[in-house]
Amino acid sequence: MCNKNYQLKNEEKDLKKGFKLEEINALFNGFAIAMSPFNLLLMLVGVTLGVIIGVLPGLGGANGIAILLPLTFTMSPTSAIIMLSCIYWGALFGGAITSILFNIPGEPWSVATTFDGYPMARKGKAGQALTAAFTSSFVGALFAIVMITFLAPLVAKFALKFGPPEFFAVYLLTFCSFVGMNKGSPFKTISAMMLGFALATVGMDTVTGQLRLTFGNPELMRGFDFLIAVIGLFGIGEILLSMEEGLAFQGAAAKIRRQ
Amino acid sequence: MSQNLENSNQDSLISVRVIDIITALLFIVVGLVVMFGSLKLGANWSSDGPEAGYFPFYISVIMLLSSAVNLYQAAIVHKKTEAFVNKESFKQVMAVLLPAIVFVLGVQLIGIYVSSVFYIAFFMVWLGKYRIWKAIVVSVGVSVTLYLLFEFWFQIPLPHGSWFNPLELVGVQ
Repeated sequence: MCNKNYQLKNEEKDLKKGFKLEEINALFNGFAIAMSPFNLLLMLVGVTLGVIIGVLPGLGGANGIAILLPLTFTMSPTSAIIMLSCIYWGALFGGAITSILFNIPGEPWSVATTFDGYPMARKGKAGQALTAAFTSSFVGALFAIVMITFLAPLVAKFALKFGPPEFFAVYLLTFCSFVGMNKGSPFKTISAMMLGFALATVGMDTVTGQLRLTFGNPELMRGFDFLIAVIGLFGIGEILLSMEEGLAFQGAAAKIRRQ
Repeated sequence: MSQNLENSNQDSLISVRVIDIITALLFIVVGLVVMFGSLKLGANWSSDGPEAGYFPFYISVIMLLSSAVNLYQAAIVHKKTEAFVNKESFKQVMAVLLPAIVFVLGVQLIGIYVSSVFYIAFFMVWLGKYRIWKAIVVSVGVSVTLYLLFEFWFQIPLPHGSWFNPLELVGVQ
């Protein structure tokens, strides 16, 4: 036990000593590989495809990568990863385009862009809003890359200590804050949340292997798909709500380029 | 949903209170279904850990308690008399909801491609007031694109119709 502790401490010291230089070395080595003309061309193609995927509502970065994965089968692994990550970054930005121009967020993460991007577009400042979104995407991505380069080893260490009790604590905090932050009656929130839990329990029980709440229906064996619940509750609900409020598409002419 | 349809025939609007009561009752029914289902599986702690119905049973208990409070609040405490939906909006919602239900039935019976031709064309002509030839071009085009996309490119089989497959008449599978 004592010996093991000593060993661990020694390893930590080694990690601290070689920590920064080694990471920077690796980072620049990576840049050297990425900066070849072929890889730069792939980045251009990847970002363009990613923007197209991001503009389409419902298709996100992960889906886009899955669909365009066959394109990379003939490439070397490094080029393939460069292209796929560019598709992902492109999709992150592409979602902002529809939220600024049409007030429809292409991706879940571009919902916040509709709050100030769409009003700007209606005032005729669509170009500025798009530039701001693109610049913030670029700066954010750059900082994220730098952070992950230096923090990844620390996060990896911490992640292994994250066990079932910690997961339970996080989920409990989440669901309690749902109840606390809701404006309406807390009991309605609890009822809806429990309905979600009940739907999630349908299907095979992972502990005992028994079929739960399928009532003899083989279709229910795999349980309810999350996507179906989301589209059914949010997508269709949103369409019906917009019909109830009356079909009035509020749009305004906006120029992308100053003439 | 069926309650909504019945109420649409009356002249009076549906109040929020009625909807709240109906929703709370539906939640109680679902809670009871979950409770009986998990009791059938066994909701105790056996020698090798929790039985399959252990977690759903307590979920259903919480659901029944909170829905009972909801029912009590809706029926007795806050008598919200404001309208849940007025007649004009209700008609608008039904104009989308009923064709959508027919479309889903059509997907099951005659397949997704032919049903979506009818669905898109119907909406373009009826709600969108487009010309008929435009509606036909767009709906057929969308369906053919979807067919090529899913059957050939993604290789994902979508429902072709359990009762009758109209694509067989044209000679494609």
